[in-house]
Amino acid sequence: MPEVNTEKIFASFLLSVEQVTSIDEFNDLEKEYLGKNSLISEERKKLSSMSEISRKKYGKVLQELSTQISERLNQERLSFQSKFFKEKELNDNKDITINWYKDLGSREHVLTSVMNEVVDIFSAIGYTVATGPEAETSWHNFDALNTPDWHPARYESDTLYLDENLEQLLRTQTSTVQVRHMQNNKPPVYIVAPGRVYRSDQLDATHSPVFHQIEGLAVDENLTFSDLKGTLEYFVQEFFGKEIKTKFIPHFFPFTEPSAEVLVSWKDGEWLEILGCGMVDPNVFQHVGYDKNSQGFAFGVGVERLAMIRYKIDHIKNFYENDLRFLRQF
Amino acid sequence: MKVLKSWLNDWIDISEISNEDISEGLESLGFEIEEQSDLKPNYSNIVVGKVLEIYPHPNADKVRVTKTDVGSKTYEIVCGAWNFDVGAVVPVALPNSEIKDGFKIDKRDIRGVESNGMICSASELDLWDDHEGILILDDNILPGTDFSSIYASSDYLWDIGITPNRGDCMSYLGIARELSNYFDKKINIKKSKLNPSITNILNTNSGKIKECDSYGSVEIENFKVTDSSFLIRYRLSNVGTRIINNVVDITNYILYDVGQPLHAFDRDKLFNTVSVRKAKNNETVTTLDSQKRKLTNDDLVITDGDKPIALAGVMGGLETEVTDSTVNLLIESAYFDKVSIMKTSRKLGLISDASIRFERGIDFNIQKYGLEQFLMTLKDSQDIKYSELSIDTKNNIKNEKVTLEKDEIKKLLGIELKDSFIKKTLKNLMIDGEIKNDNIEFTAPSWRYDLDRPVDLIEEFAKHHGFNNFSSNLPQGLYKNEKGNFWKVKEYLTKILISNNFQEIQTLSFVNKEMNTVFNPEKKYVTVFNAIDKSNNYLRSNLMSSLIDTYIFNLQQNNILNSYFEINTVFNSSPDNTFNDVPNQNVVLGFITSANLTTQDIRKSDQNIDIYYVKSLINQLINDTQLEPIIKPGFHQNYSFSIFKNNEIVGHFGQLSTELQNNFEIENEVFLGEIYVNKLNLNELKLINYKPLSQYPFIKFDLSFSVPLEFSAHLIVEEINKLLSKNENEIEIFDDFQHENSRNLGIRIVTRSYEKTYDDNQTRQILMKISDSLETKFKITLNSGNND
Repeated sequence: MPEVNTEKIFASFLLSVEQVTSIDEFNDLEKEYLGKNSLISEERKKLSSMSEISRKKYGKVLQELSTQISERLNQERLSFQSKFFKEKELNDNKDITINWYKDLGSREHVLTSVMNEVVDIFSAIGYTVATGPEAETSWHNFDALNTPDWHPARYESDTLYLDENLEQLLRTQTSTVQVRHMQNNKPPVYIVAPGRVYRSDQLDATHSPVFHQIEGLAVDENLTFSDLKGTLEYFVQEFFGKEIKTKFIPHFFPFTEPSAEVLVSWKDGEWLEILGCGMVDPNVFQHVGYDKNSQGFAFGVGVERLAMIRYKIDHIKNFYENDLRFLRQF
Repeated sequence: MKVLKSWLNDWIDISEISNEDISEGLESLGFEIEEQSDLKPNYSNIVVGKVLEIYPHPNADKVRVTKTDVGSKTYEIVCGAWNFDVGAVVPVALPNSEIKDGFKIDKRDIRGVESNGMICSASELDLWDDHEGILILDDNILPGTDFSSIYASSDYLWDIGITPNRGDCMSYLGIARELSNYFDKKINIKKSKLNPSITNILNTNSGKIKECDSYGSVEIENFKVTDSSFLIRYRLSNVGTRIINNVVDITNYILYDVGQPLHAFDRDKLFNTVSVRKAKNNETVTTLDSQKRKLTNDDLVITDGDKPIALAGVMGGLETEVTDSTVNLLIESAYFDKVSIMKTSRKLGLISDASIRFERGIDFNIQKYGLEQFLMTLKDSQDIKYSELSIDTKNNIKNEKVTLEKDEIKKLLGIELKDSFIKKTLKNLMIDGEIKNDNIEFTAPSWRYDLDRPVDLIEEFAKHHGFNNFSSNLPQGLYKNEKGNFWKVKEYLTKILISNNFQEIQTLSFVNKEMNTVFNPEKKYVTVFNAIDKSNNYLRSNLMSSLIDTYIFNLQQNNILNSYFEINTVFNSSPDNTFNDVPNQNVVLGFITSANLTTQDIRKSDQNIDIYYVKSLINQLINDTQLEPIIKPGFHQNYSFSIFKNNEIVGHFGQLSTELQNNFEIENEVFLGEIYVNKLNLNELKLINYKPLSQYPFIKFDLSFSVPLEFSAHLIVEEINKLLSKNENEIEIFDDFQHENSRNLGIRIVTRSYEKTYDDNQTRQILMKISDSLETKFKITLNSGNND
């Protein structure tokens, strides 16, 4: 009974495996050595005509060969595959230094993101957003805020008016929202009022006829100067970082007393002014119809100033030109 | 104001206190330090010399040769200045020395004469700008003296900001008063000792008006115009004042020293009673700068008889000016009303050291002291004769007594102040006050205009306690993360636009008229009365013009991104809906995009979009909207729509009219829209009816119908949705083909039952039902060749 030379078959199989150049050829090999028409299958067909002893013995030989080929085939297939994909990746080698995608996505204006950030910081400690008109009455912008009619801030060289009687103007400060809000809401009050303000300036590197402020106002029983300090120290640390130090120096605003300016310690030891604040002046409470014993504090921060400090922007003009080269940096 | 340490030391002994400590003190008292500098003039090898001989230069006419005693030696020095004679004591830069700007001085041959150094002017020594030539020193300084030793060689200068409520601190005396409490040191009030030896020949008085409460004067004879002392020139030049001559310098000096502005008249040019009155309308006076000033009834003038001779508190008159030949003086020391001076000086654009002090309020009780100090300073350097002081005071200004309850201090500041601190502070600040039981009764001193209410004194205590010595406490407000509907809607819309690659912009609110009329021709504009830029004096009535500007601007800058939005206020002149005392103002979200959208991968070509893209964007921004065509100025005749939500207009959008597109020279079609932010409610924007997901497989078929040209495609979609209302559906128009008078609509239907898997038969039935219904309802024809 001629038996196939299993060693020869296996050797021939190994030879074929070595010559494989693509993953699909493993399927062909599988067919060739283990498939319906393979030598092993042909031999198996002969088993039925053999004696029981020979059948068992030869059957075992064929089975061993089949297993050996199948295992080796899988092993080789896996290793080929792994090598194949590794090589495929190694050959796919793009020059990542090229920026094909210029800038992905679009952005908020940097002033908006600063305003949102400040609003979020105060909303986290219980302040809500209040708004008021940008075209205002002189009374709300000046008189109610304790700025008498002879005050230099009221001159036409500083303030943009809407009529020749100087009764309506473009608000010069978001403090007007304090007045509007208190006229319409009883204490306690905890608000921040972000928005546009206007001054009689030409747009240049350091001036703009339009800029943004965020006014804050808290009126509640027992609010003291220490509460004002704590609130603004919290704000500065949230906005600039915990390591930033603050100091308060006395200042003058017509609508607060005592009034202070807040300075923050900046790199290289410089102190920069970032906001003005104070305890609400009793005259303001009186003007809005609050009880004269009301107590609270107010503060105002320049949005452009915050952005300029944080991002080292040197031209205020950048904010309003809307050149994408600028806008898309933030 | 510039504060020189050596000058301040006249008033309060701070010589032993470090500059850092003084800086900290100034700042904690509310004097913002704008600049500070160490003044260390580096005068090596510059000595005092005495000119012994002067003779002509053999080869040059414009210079002279001197023999100058410099102590150890006598040097031959060539000099080009002619303002000195033999015997003059002058500064000499010896060979191997350095003057201003690091200029090296050495032996030098000047046309055949060896010059051993240089005789210096004040400006060459970086002291002050002089017009005269060589700096002449006091005769009694010995030759050879190191120049550094007669100059305050080590000094310190602060440039501090003074808040407008503290006019009293615009003098060395005022700053010393504040520091005296900070350092707890007494201030040295300079004493005056006078011996008047002439009688007044002129009468002076404060007139009949309340705007001049006090008018003081003194007459001086035997006066000679010359340089002021080295010390005065040194001090004034360091505080930034121009050096003129002794009388001008000393009036300036007293103004800085004690805060009383003075004015000097040539007495021989005055003939009648000197007084004060309001100017008559159209009256004129020629001021020192030779300008003829036209006055109104608001202005105060000093008069000689009835004739105006000076603008009170603002500027002297040319006719009565002190000149080189003046020998007799009348010095004025007056108190003028703050507001009057402010109005005049601002109106005429004349802002001087004097007017600034008057408008902030000077001490109403210091007129006499100002004159005394002037005389004390002048008589030190000249043998003058002077009269008794004349002070005419109406005494109309008085500070009232104010009572502060001590409890109020704790209530406002949150801290308890000790009685000892209160007493010390009152005393050092010279505030007349005392603690009476639970109250503090006080009267503001004559120089304070900011101390007339109880809260004013609390501020004073807070400041002198030191703001940085207060503890900090963080109170919690009422609203837990409640930013309010407006802010949240703004954030919500912004997020959606950004995710669709729209860039936010912020543009100025001012436009020219054209930019309003092009979109809002109805003319109810708000204008700025005193606009800076007269061509842009309109407040914008829409955001579209600014958006187009930005769109064009960035194309011109080679910046490629064509979608922008802005959220800001627009104005019109009808009354505002919320605040009826101001013009109408609405916060609007405006957006712009282009038919040609740049893809962000620069290897790929641009994406073309059309009005449908914008419609889809609107649906993403605001849910459940209805659109209605509307004719709008500036927009395309057919592609302009109002956006309705809950039957209310919440915005509009459309395509920029092709005519405007042409006028703006824009290549591609442009789409614009505005959304009225205040009309949206966040909770409604977030109202989404969840559609459950079917677990069964979908069936899908495409149908094509012949439809009339004017047919509205959405009717078919609505009808199919109605027919399949029990299913989960995706029904889309995928093709709209028009050729001449025929139009075919392609509809793709993807539908899933919530209950079962459709077999072929059921699918066919659904298809039949849909096509039959549509054909019947809309009189349209199903095209053959449809399949599933």
